[in-house]
Amino acid sequence: MLVLIFPISVVIGGGITTVVCLMQKFVDRGSDLQIRSVVALDHFKNYIYVEADKEAHVKEAIKGMRNIYANQKILLVPIREMTDVLCVESKAIDLSRDTWVRMKIGTYKGDLAKVVDVDNVRQRVTVKLIPRIDLQALASKLDGREVVKKKAFVPPPRFMNIDEARELHIRVERRRDPMTGDYFENIGGMLFKDGFMYKAVSLKSIIAQNVTPTFDELEKFNRPSENGEAEFGGLSTLFANRKKGHFMKGDAVIVIKGDLKNLKGWVEKVDEENVLIRSGMKGLPDPLAVNEKELCKYFEPGNHVKVVSGTHEGATGMVVKVDQHVLIILSDMTKEHVRVFADHVVESSEVTTGVTMILSFWSNNPSFGVIIRLENEAFQVLKGNPDRPEVALVKLREIKCKLDRKISVQDRYKGKQGPVRHIYKGVLFIYDRHHLEHAGFICAKCTSCIVVGGSRSGANRNGGDSLSRFSNFKAPAPVPPSPRRFQRGGMGYNGMEGKGWKGRGGRGGRDDSLLGTTVKIRLGPFKGYRGPVVEVKGDSVRVELEMKIVTVDRNAISDNVSVITPSRDISRYSMGSETPMHPSRTPLHPYMTPMRDSGATPIHDGVRTPMRDRAWNPYTPMSPPRDNWEEGNPGSRGTSPQYQPGSPPSRAYEAPTPGSGWASTPGGSYSDAGMPRDHSSAYANAPSPYIQSTPGQPMTPSSTSYLPGTPGGQPMTPGTGLDVMSPVIGGDAEAWFMPDILVDIHKVGEDSDLGVIRDVSDGTCKVSLGSSGEGDTIMALPSELEIVPPRKNDRVKIVGGQFRGSIGTLIGIDGSDGIVKIEENLDVKILDLAILAKFVQP
Amino acid sequence: MGSAPAQIPTSFGHELRACLRCRLVKTYDQFRDAGCENCPFFKMEEDHERIVEVTTPNFNGIISVMDPSRSWAARWLRIGKFAPGCYTLAVSEPLTEEMQHICQEERVQYVPPKRM
Repeated sequence: MLVLIFPISVVIGGGITTVVCLMQKFVDRGSDLQIRSVVALDHFKNYIYVEADKEAHVKEAIKGMRNIYANQKILLVPIREMTDVLCVESKAIDLSRDTWVRMKIGTYKGDLAKVVDVDNVRQRVTVKLIPRIDLQALASKLDGREVVKKKAFVPPPRFMNIDEARELHIRVERRRDPMTGDYFENIGGMLFKDGFMYKAVSLKSIIAQNVTPTFDELEKFNRPSENGEAEFGGLSTLFANRKKGHFMKGDAVIVIKGDLKNLKGWVEKVDEENVLIRSGMKGLPDPLAVNEKELCKYFEPGNHVKVVSGTHEGATGMVVKVDQHVLIILSDMTKEHVRVFADHVVESSEVTTGVTMILSFWSNNPSFGVIIRLENEAFQVLKGNPDRPEVALVKLREIKCKLDRKISVQDRYKGKQGPVRHIYKGVLFIYDRHHLEHAGFICAKCTSCIVVGGSRSGANRNGGDSLSRFSNFKAPAPVPPSPRRFQRGGMGYNGMEGKGWKGRGGRGGRDDSLLGTTVKIRLGPFKGYRGPVVEVKGDSVRVELEMKIVTVDRNAISDNVSVITPSRDISRYSMGSETPMHPSRTPLHPYMTPMRDSGATPIHDGVRTPMRDRAWNPYTPMSPPRDNWEEGNPGSRGTSPQYQPGSPPSRAYEAPTPGSGWASTPGGSYSDAGMPRDHSSAYANAPSPYIQSTPGQPMTPSSTSYLPGTPGGQPMTPGTGLDVMSPVIGGDAEAWFMPDILVDIHKVGEDSDLGVIRDVSDGTCKVSLGSSGEGDTIMALPSELEIVPPRKNDRVKIVGGQFRGSIGTLIGIDGSDGIVKIEENLDVKILDLAILAKFVQP
Repeated sequence: MGSAPAQIPTSFGHELRACLRCRLVKTYDQFRDAGCENCPFFKMEEDHERIVEVTTPNFNGIISVMDPSRSWAARWLRIGKFAPGCYTLAVSEPLTEEMQHICQEERVQYVPPKRM
């Protein structure tokens, strides 16, 4: 027998009426009506389903029926679906006393209510609510006065205060309820007791399913005259409505209902409603089957947990107190006490940490610090107190401004070393991955740090001279946090101005008039290059070019008015061990370049190069640094396309390495910083400040991060950059000095000399003076030595990276990299010039 | 057609109730007047209190069955043997123990509602 079911579209709400009408029609008409049955479902209010042999019968039956849309197309449903239609979920919720429900309509819509009485006969229940009474309006009404009913005015929930009502001359009648024997206050027809309002409502106006009272609501309800049991009662309903599968094997639980109440155990197995627990108690079957509704998760103080639902979802913390179902947790993030249901918590060792590292400023005690952890509502900040690490929790609103400073100097800190992430007011924030506290940040005074690494540029030495110029720092090798040697245009160094960037101070000294000024080299192999004078030695001056310092004849230079590259300095630093940190400022200079390839510090070079070129390019006036970029880039990074003069200075340099992170980049995720994809976000912020500050530096990466395309880019890898860097840097920093390489000796107070390291022992070097090492032998510290950059066709010794120790020939220079043909295997490698030293045959 | 049809509900509001055993839907008053056509043994017309015991206003979905023996839906719902009339797809609660005993004594089938 073929069964056909036809859905018929009906007026919403008219389904039942139609069904019954059809029945009546059947009774009246008899066999005229040939349909077999008609179904109306509660949850499909706009359709009825007619079962009949033929469509024609259906048409006939519904003819003239109200509530049915006429002329509708009659479809057919397969039987399969019909069974679905017929299988309705039994919606019975046994309303019992103390059940939690929510009001559906009226003033109390959505409010939590507790059932106190159920009247099945009349389909009504009496519920208990927190009153929302506007006493004023009520008084007026009862007095017969005009009540101006404010539209949509819902009074806030507040317990009814009888005295207050009486004051307003509202008649309060005290009545005794015959059934329960309780006294009720009758005000205006509404019943109150203990501040709660008791209301009789029909079943239809309440929701009984999935009613989960929030913690606050429960608290309010259980306020007066509720004993523990009542609370339990409420909570047990709460549990009853809980989703299944809540317990997991291994959970510690406690029985909350029944004979075994207060029994603690561990979940052995969960099987729908029954949970098997092991209690370890003698005399009880083990495992013991307990209904899920009678169990509650149990935690002990000291447990580390995570909140998985409710208002505090996502928070992690340690349990400090257990109070029946409620746990008090000390949040990891905000260090506040949080009350949550045991239900909403799972044990976890996860600790929520945040990400950003922004230097900021907050107003309580005007100070600054670095955000080391980002949480939902607050930041954990390492204060700029170099004496001791001080961490404070700062709410978002207390942060005044974000200070963008970048430094790319690598410093050593009490044996700890790491790149400087931020500098401010003479205080350095150094990031050391290995440092376990404060997300790796160390706060130190700049004076207590020295730059690591024998960078050729003499970065180490920045020393006294420059520092002296810039009073902030003290002499010996202080980290030049604030660098900026000369800002273009006369910057007074005052420690981080933030103009652009901080470079290292130049060497100061000998001839102040010339020192620090940017000159243009007119003669010689470096003709056309510009750079700041870092040292004056009689007839020759040493000018810092992008990557190295060169000595030129005094006559060969001319003062150049416009200063461009502050970056230059920076680049220099990058060379050395600078870590990617440089990039911080990068926008201006390429330091950022991640482009390091082959082992050399990946980060710097790449970045730098472009800059350098830029800077150097005599043809490029400040403004078009972009052009420079192009030049520099193509070679090194291949990013050139990005820097078309016209193009918006968009690319920020991805600071290469995670380390470099610009101040703005979230500390944690270096990767992000480095990651190409993130650029915009990462650098968008950072660069901007610079951009503005530095006139004519369109290059600044305002928007996109610059992704060095080149191999140097590897450092970009999140985190790795830093890692990579560090070891490398470390390598550079510590062990670049090897025998048989030409170095510049810069003893304090003396002229710089050339020499050849002959021996290395215990951290000091034996250096033979002279360009070929034929002179006297002196002892020198690596910090006093500086690699002399090799020239093309020089024999070089590789002092860093994986090929450290190898000898080769520099067959070409490409930006900041050198192309070396290694002698032993005749391999041609591209290495950072920073790790190449001129080899002097012993 | 087979048996005489059961009373058809006269209103659709609160008074509608469903018999917990056979799921016939009528108003309270109708049960009081004529009892349940499928379950005469409950004797609702005599014992009005019983109406409250064996019927419920909590039910879900309504189906009019014109010819139960020839309706697939009716058979599916196990009302194929009952009188034509209006029935509900599901009731909210099962019969009380006492009532179930009566059913057993009378040898009538009772299937408690399936709880999801």
